[in-house]
Amino acid sequence: MAGQELAGRVSCTKPYGWDKGSVEVAISPWSEQMGESDAEAETRKHRVVAYDYGIKQNILRLLVDHNCEVYVVPAQTSAEDVLEMKPDGVFLSNGPGDPEPVTYAVQNIQKLLGRVPIFGICLGHQLCGLALGGKTFKLKFGHHGSNHPVKNLLTEQVEITAQNHGFCVDPDSLPSREVEITHVNLNDGTNEGMRHKSKALFSVQYHPEASPGPHDSHYCSPSSRT
Amino acid sequence: MPKRKDIKKILIIGSGPIIIGQACEFDYSGAQACKALRSEGYEVVLVNSNPATIMTDPELAHRTYIEPLTKEYLEEIIAREKPDALLPTVGGQTALNLAVELSESGILEKYKVEMIGASLRAIKVAEDRLWFKDACRKIGLEVPASALVNNANDALRLCDQLGFPLVIRPSFTLGGTGGSIAYNKEEFGEAIAHALDMSPVHEALVEESVLGWKEYELEVMRDFRDNFVVICTIENFDPMGVHTGDSITVAPAQTLTDKEFQRMRDAAAAIIREVGVETGGSNVQFAVNPENGRMVVIEMNPRVSRSSALASKATGFPIAKIAARLAVGMSLDEIPNDITKKTPACFEPTIDYVVVKIPSGSSRSFPAPTARSELR
Repeated sequence: MAGQELAGRVSCTKPYGWDKGSVEVAISPWSEQMGESDAEAETRKHRVVAYDYGIKQNILRLLVDHNCEVYVVPAQTSAEDVLEMKPDGVFLSNGPGDPEPVTYAVQNIQKLLGRVPIFGICLGHQLCGLALGGKTFKLKFGHHGSNHPVKNLLTEQVEITAQNHGFCVDPDSLPSREVEITHVNLNDGTNEGMRHKSKALFSVQYHPEASPGPHDSHYCSPSSRT
Repeated sequence: MPKRKDIKKILIIGSGPIIIGQACEFDYSGAQACKALRSEGYEVVLVNSNPATIMTDPELAHRTYIEPLTKEYLEEIIAREKPDALLPTVGGQTALNLAVELSESGILEKYKVEMIGASLRAIKVAEDRLWFKDACRKIGLEVPASALVNNANDALRLCDQLGFPLVIRPSFTLGGTGGSIAYNKEEFGEAIAHALDMSPVHEALVEESVLGWKEYELEVMRDFRDNFVVICTIENFDPMGVHTGDSITVAPAQTLTDKEFQRMRDAAAAIIREVGVETGGSNVQFAVNPENGRMVVIEMNPRVSRSSALASKATGFPIAKIAARLAVGMSLDEIPNDITKKTPACFEPTIDYVVVKIPSGSSRSFPAPTARSELR
């Protein structure tokens, strides 16, 4: 797996819009507590451009739930083309393989940083790590499954998360003056989330969109963070 | 936050005699709690009326009283021992009821004993069926339609509204004692009279039947930091209508999709927060209509329950031991995982095997079986 650039191979070939929200099997007590109704109250939608490195549909559904107008673009789309779409935020998706060889994505993120809010998940998080000057490494076994405890260092609370990754960002390799570590895996202490101290960038290693998995991390959204 | 330093001596109420409704599972949980609190450096005083238990072994608590589990005896013990805190959540329903009595009669206040593990309010909300239903509705969860009655006439009027079969549950009894299911007016009249008789407050709940629905239990824990984990899911092989104690039960739940399970998990989290169980374990029960997936909340126990013992054995997560530590102010991420020793107890066990509980008993001693809500 190390050294393999797979994101480009699974990405969509043409951009497309997405407007389907999540289908609720029934009432979710969680949505009331997390104040999702606030997002609905806003009339203007946030325009989000989502880079598809192998994106999961539930992420798109949740973005729509969070009052976003979503456009999905292929992994190789240039930062210039994305900025031309005048997005309120850019989303970096999950995806397979090693983040290191996905150099075009890292360069695009570097160009986008500071010009538009960025939110990344999984591979998107690892690419942010590289774009911020950090390093990634391959975990011995990887994190897979829906029961990984992650501590949010900002709130001191623990979320039970869904995860599926073989690579990881080395937190010590990140420039500590610019980047703040926000989430840590309680099982092995590895990095699970970070944010930029002055620019609008926030990313998590786990899958807050769940499906399958617990809904503890649904609060992670571009509108709530950036 | 590390464990509390302002309390030194903790009183634990045991489960009393091992009979139906006060099963030996609570000896296991009480013994675990004694060991956990001792190892954290607290002085443990134990009261139990049953000397034939593990928890009353001399080395488990610093001081063990074998006395009747009544308010009067407890007051004497409290006056003599002057404990700083009372942990009522590891001795089953008996201990919880006694703690409510001690609290409401002002004895705890008089001797400045703090109830830890569950507040009086949380116990009352969880135990009172109507308060509990209100709490569930408040957070948008469905419960079976029902009404509370204290006389036979009111009850009969309800039949027309709700239709048969109907479940009759007396308030404040153990193991569902005095509860039954009525299929027609004649049975209903008898059932109501019996239920009102059994209830210490002469009150019973008449409820829409969820007979035949799928039955689930979630064993959950919460700490003072509001961390929430599901330790184990249990599915009853026998549907609603057969008491959990009589049912074949399987852990983990077998017939839920991820979407259905996550909805149940969210609901359990919302309930434990709304009821106000700030630290410790709870057991939340759900019924799911196999026809359409409609989920209703059945009940919650704000304490270590019969199913906690099964859940502990099934997952290796010692619920009573961890609940005792949470009660003295530790958080789930501070307590080490009992099995790995390295990772914290703040996680959700995932098991790649199934654990099946099959009740055994002599069927010859029972007449022809009928569906009941009362544990036999």
